[in-house]
Amino acid sequence: MFKKNRLFVSMLGFILLVLAALPLAAQQQKPKCITDCSCDMAGRVVDQLTQEPLPFATVQLKGSSVGTIADDEGVFHLHNLCDDEFDLVVSFVGYKPVTHHHDLYHNDPVIYLSPEEAQLESIVVEGRQMESGMASVTATTIGPEELENSQGERLGNLLSRLSGVTTLSTGQNVVKPVIHGLHSSRILIINNGIRHESQNWGAEHAPEIDPSQVSNISLIKGAASVKYGPGALGGVIVVNPPQPQLTAPLSGRAGLRLQSNGRAAGGTLLLQEGYSNFAWLAQASGLFQGDLHTPDYNLTNTGARELSFSAGALYHRRQLDLRAHYSYFQQKLGILRGSVVGSLNDLAFAINNEPPAYTSGFSYNINTPNQEVLHHLLKLDGSYTFHNSSLDFQYGFQLNERQEYDVRRGTNNQLPSINLQLLTHSFEADWNHPAIGNLKGSAGVQLQLQDNNNIAGTNTTPFLPNYNNLNLGAYLAESIQAGETIFDLGVRFDIQQSSVRGRDQNQDIFRHELNYSSITASTGFLKPMNNWSTIQSNLGLAWRPPNMAELYSYGKHETVIEYGLLRFHEGVSGVFSQAERAANSELSYKWVNTYSYQRNGTTAELTAYVNYLQNYIYSKPAGITVISRGPFPFFIYDQTNALLAGVDGSFALQHNNLWESALRFSFLYATDVKNNERFLGLPANRIAYTLAYKQARLGKFSNFTAGLEPSYTFRQYLAPPVITPAQLLESAGDDTEIFATAENGFDLMAAPEGYFLLNLAGSIEKGKLTYGLEVRNLLNTSYRDYTNRLRYFADEPGRNFVVSVKYNF
Amino acid sequence: MKAAKNIFSFILLLLPFVVLMACSDDDDVPALENEEEVISQVTLTFTPADGADALTFDWTDPEGPTLPVVDPVVLQANTEYDLTIELYGPNGENITEEVQEEAAEHLFFFGWSDQLFDSPTGTGNISNRSNTVDYGDTDSNNQPVGLATTWTTGEPASGTFRMVLKHQPNIKSATSTVNDGETDVDITWAVTVE
Repeated sequence: MFKKNRLFVSMLGFILLVLAALPLAAQQQKPKCITDCSCDMAGRVVDQLTQEPLPFATVQLKGSSVGTIADDEGVFHLHNLCDDEFDLVVSFVGYKPVTHHHDLYHNDPVIYLSPEEAQLESIVVEGRQMESGMASVTATTIGPEELENSQGERLGNLLSRLSGVTTLSTGQNVVKPVIHGLHSSRILIINNGIRHESQNWGAEHAPEIDPSQVSNISLIKGAASVKYGPGALGGVIVVNPPQPQLTAPLSGRAGLRLQSNGRAAGGTLLLQEGYSNFAWLAQASGLFQGDLHTPDYNLTNTGARELSFSAGALYHRRQLDLRAHYSYFQQKLGILRGSVVGSLNDLAFAINNEPPAYTSGFSYNINTPNQEVLHHLLKLDGSYTFHNSSLDFQYGFQLNERQEYDVRRGTNNQLPSINLQLLTHSFEADWNHPAIGNLKGSAGVQLQLQDNNNIAGTNTTPFLPNYNNLNLGAYLAESIQAGETIFDLGVRFDIQQSSVRGRDQNQDIFRHELNYSSITASTGFLKPMNNWSTIQSNLGLAWRPPNMAELYSYGKHETVIEYGLLRFHEGVSGVFSQAERAANSELSYKWVNTYSYQRNGTTAELTAYVNYLQNYIYSKPAGITVISRGPFPFFIYDQTNALLAGVDGSFALQHNNLWESALRFSFLYATDVKNNERFLGLPANRIAYTLAYKQARLGKFSNFTAGLEPSYTFRQYLAPPVITPAQLLESAGDDTEIFATAENGFDLMAAPEGYFLLNLAGSIEKGKLTYGLEVRNLLNTSYRDYTNRLRYFADEPGRNFVVSVKYNF
Repeated sequence: MKAAKNIFSFILLLLPFVVLMACSDDDDVPALENEEEVISQVTLTFTPADGADALTFDWTDPEGPTLPVVDPVVLQANTEYDLTIELYGPNGENITEEVQEEAAEHLFFFGWSDQLFDSPTGTGNISNRSNTVDYGDTDSNNQPVGLATTWTTGEPASGTFRMVLKHQPNIKSATSTVNDGETDVDITWAVTVE
């Protein structure tokens, strides 16, 4: 099957080649406005901190006397220009001036000027980026300012600042984002414009992205983002690193942070420079962390190491932009030693005893269990802007290596028990077509090729097969403006072919060819109610094929005994073809509605959603078996229909010049529609309040900020029934009764109590230096989190002082 | 700058070819691994001290979520036996050797029905570590291991015999209990003394 695709792949390669050559072949004909000096442009100048317009700002064409003054709304126009490319110098009294290289092929710029006493540099944004490509899809963003103040956090924790995002963690080092109750294969992460491809099926596999190399993050709450392909059932997280800027002098940023809990140190360095048609950027960062501790005891073997670097370059030539970006991320994460158990008896003992087994004094050492991951990303992309349309093309290469080390006997302790290598190539071409009346839109094709291999030498039979994937997709996204309202419609079709090679229980080789295809669709509208509020509504259909773990998991792995969809049928384990055992794609029908309000210092956003998932894949208990380590429950993958619904909201109020406060909350409900049962591990509801004080001048210092963040996480009220290890041991051999009321799953202990946390943060600037102090878990509260998979063994970390210093140059 | 542009364009032109070569079809299957993780067979060998034929009993766990096949243990009354325990992986890999190599981190605990044995008396060291078990082997720290033990049956009786192998890296001691470390083996046999 895969062989036949070769011809097709070659054809696509050819198309890409033509695309790559196109900008060279196309003569760079000069637009007519140059010859008759009739070029013109417009832009807007705003205060970067308050987003208020800056009336009467000065705009000058560099090296000439041509210039203008913005109107009282901060809007300016330049007419009768004799070139399509020029440098603009924008200035305003009391603000940092900025030089911006502009050409007429890009969107009208918005110039964000930064007050002179502020650390932030003035920046220019060309056109509002719409990550989803659709106006009706709700998107929220964490900007550079907030990101800078939260460095050193895991990406997952950082994302949980967005309302609607929660976390699924394994201890404190491995943190995955959860969008509206869904995670792993059910959400997409787009890193620098490319689907982040890793072993994301595992609940203990966090995204391999360094948050200190990110300049902004957007969350797309709609299910169907036709631009990005299958998998966006819960939503899409778009992570963008800083981009090289033209005509920017050599500048940089260095940061150092120290953390009391874990006695950790981390550093980042960024350098960038831009000429008139070339710009570059380079970044490096690292983290060295020892054992964390709870209020009462040390968490042995929870150290971490991280190292990452990246470099990017931009080449600009009139209508053509070419970009190259490479990033490298390496991580070694310790997992709590006391979380390793061999049998139900061990587990029963661990649940009832604190501190966990093997607890010892503080150490920087990382022993087993731990994970080592490595991620390379190379991206080459370009865009060519025609007079009224543009063409974007990109190639991405990703290499993801994952090694997991368990506590094992003898020399095997030094061998990984999981050792996987995933290679991904992706090709993409998008065309923003010329507007047809009020109709605007884009179309594109994407091809992704993947090769996943087990690296030999683990001394344990791999449960994930080797496979090659081919994914081909094409989409069309259109929007039409009628009055103030924007309607949009997106359609996409994908096919995915997989060639799978694995080993069955007798070590015999099996081969499967899998084919999945489906459409993705999205439609909705954005309607401004008045000058200060809008309503968005989007209905989407998304899908994903079952992942390899859901299909092929089998047998005994640590304390989990699981059988994938194609490994267990009618009470018997083995290898079954799709003809024998149906394994269907998951389909998601998600309806998202958002009301946003922004007026007189008050901003509010309220999102309500319903997500119906057909063929929802989950693992359910199927009985209790006995292995050499004693009785164990075993689980089989199955499909059902699920309903998730929820509300998340944020409300921010500017009390006066100095004080502001914000409230965020999320509420989620989920049920198995077929069996009327509850699912395990749904994130608990949460409410958080922030009170912030900001003062521009404080003696010799500037930009003093202080904030207090109390939050309350509720006890999970939708937890499935509890079956303790002792009860499981008792019913070994007679297991039909015990799961009768827990068909969808059970929990080994009750959901932890709700908990109250208090965080404190402050920062102050002097000259080019910014000092920060943060205290997390100020009250040193002992608590456990429902979605931490290690909550059976230990508490969450206690009080943590974080001190940071940043230097901008 | 002109040169840089041309080089960049050239690389871009070459790219599809490089990529096509890089992702040529492969058909590699996962290598055959020497399974050393899963213990799927445990063999008990009771050798009478009087030189009579040794008795062997197997516990085997077939693939899949099925119950293991356990030989009932039948011993002669009033007889002293040397017991050796052997562990195997699903394809006959000998895991006993690994335990031996790491003897300082491993310990077998035993628990049995009262009256099953004349020596040692009692019910074993699972319920209480200080109870007697006649270990016949020691590790480098002079602590028992339990791959070799000695048992003397009494009058005819029947009951259960449970053995728990614990992995106790850095924590194995004269007082470490069945609750310390990770369980590698936890098997209960039905025993008849006749």
